[in-house]
Amino acid sequence: MIILALDALDLQQVKKYNCKYLLQEEYGKTDLSDFTQPRTVVLWSSFLTGKNMEPQIPLKTQWEFKVNPEQTFLKYFKTYKTIDVPAFSHKPSHVKERELLKGFFEETATIEEFDEIVWKIHEENKKEFFEAVGKFDLLMGYFNLADSIGHLSFGITEKMAKVYQELEQLAKKIKDADDSILIISDHGMKAVGRFGDHNRNGFYSFNHKVGLNMPKITSFYDLIRRDVEK
Amino acid sequence: MSITLIREAKAQFKNPAVLWSTGKDSTAAVWLCKKAFFGKLPFPVVHIDTGYKFPQIYEFRDKIAKEWNLDLIVTRNEEAIKNNMSPKKGALDCCTALKTEALKDLIREREFDALIMAIRRDEHGIRAKERQFSPRDDNFHWNYTDQPAELWNLYVKPSEDFSHMRVHPILTWTEYNVWEYMKQEKLPVNPLYFAKGGKRYRSLGCMPCTVPVESTASNIDEIVEEIRTSVSPERAGRSQDKEKAYMMQKLRSLGYM
Repeated sequence: MIILALDALDLQQVKKYNCKYLLQEEYGKTDLSDFTQPRTVVLWSSFLTGKNMEPQIPLKTQWEFKVNPEQTFLKYFKTYKTIDVPAFSHKPSHVKERELLKGFFEETATIEEFDEIVWKIHEENKKEFFEAVGKFDLLMGYFNLADSIGHLSFGITEKMAKVYQELEQLAKKIKDADDSILIISDHGMKAVGRFGDHNRNGFYSFNHKVGLNMPKITSFYDLIRRDVEK
Repeated sequence: MSITLIREAKAQFKNPAVLWSTGKDSTAAVWLCKKAFFGKLPFPVVHIDTGYKFPQIYEFRDKIAKEWNLDLIVTRNEEAIKNNMSPKKGALDCCTALKTEALKDLIREREFDALIMAIRRDEHGIRAKERQFSPRDDNFHWNYTDQPAELWNLYVKPSEDFSHMRVHPILTWTEYNVWEYMKQEKLPVNPLYFAKGGKRYRSLGCMPCTVPVESTASNIDEIVEEIRTSVSPERAGRSQDKEKAYMMQKLRSLGYM
């Protein structure tokens, strides 16, 4: 199985930028109504564990929070690889990224500096991801391009078009893999002027018909388990 | 008063021009210039094309330029455009290259000594310091601490450190005054100002850096009424400060900072 975990991928934007490979065979929105706030670490850890992890994840230390593999659907796979997944294998390079984000608001860093590190992390993850395709029972790659670039530039169509084209290319490259493919986001995004804020439009798509209707992000745990059991 | 200022500019300067973005303020200013000279503008109208404007702006510009028989000069910083200058390189750098530098080049090329511009004191704090006749040096530097006095409506140009004069015929108008005037004169309005789907543009800039505001005003009467009762600033859709503060707060609440 391949899971493309795309932070802040928003269905409306996927359609706007005509990303047919991201839409795959079946797509829709996820139901995030169980969460008081669409927080990245909370949503990814809830996706991994099949449980609402919100009460267990303090805001201030959320980026250090880790789930045990035994709590997650990963335990159903003989071999797996996760790349940069929040609450599991999130990379330390995001600390610098968040520092630059803060620096932008404090006027000690520029958007260009921030964008540069975001794209750098993305390229590193992409390389690692494609090297791992076909080598594991489960490959889960996390890419935060739409979220990070979106936070400072969601209102700039030119920039977001480039982001969505890049993510579309990821989906295109794996589309012929002889495997079950799930593309999923934690939350969507809405414009606040030139900036972007999380919204509750979580996205999912499968490369085969599953017949879901607004699934909760926690309900993918059982779907993935059943997929393994098949 | 506005017409007096325009006539004064024409009388004092050899080679004036009026800037026109196609927004409501500059459309009103161009109309005032026409009225000042009984329907026939004796100087050119300058439109700075950044290449990032809304398609409706270009359509409106070309249509009105033809109908009003304007001597329209469209200027672009082709070199910056060729070098991929865009808002993604930073809004300030982009504005400097595509607007300021384009205008500087045009002033040098055409030797304009006065530019009639439709800025207003109520737009934001720094514009409140403007004078109706406001001198600029070669680098567009504006020394707001040492401006000529404008007593008894007498406008005197400085004798040195002076490249061209900015002339501001609607400096003392408010946004409401402009819309009232547009209505009174039955002036054409760029359709972007009218609400579609609950939103409209209240101030027009480049596409990537301008966002619409919540509104249901779909004609000029409704806009006049909306502005009369509005408590939000006109450039809310263009100012990044409020959004920046909001986003900082939101990102903190999401644990990013």
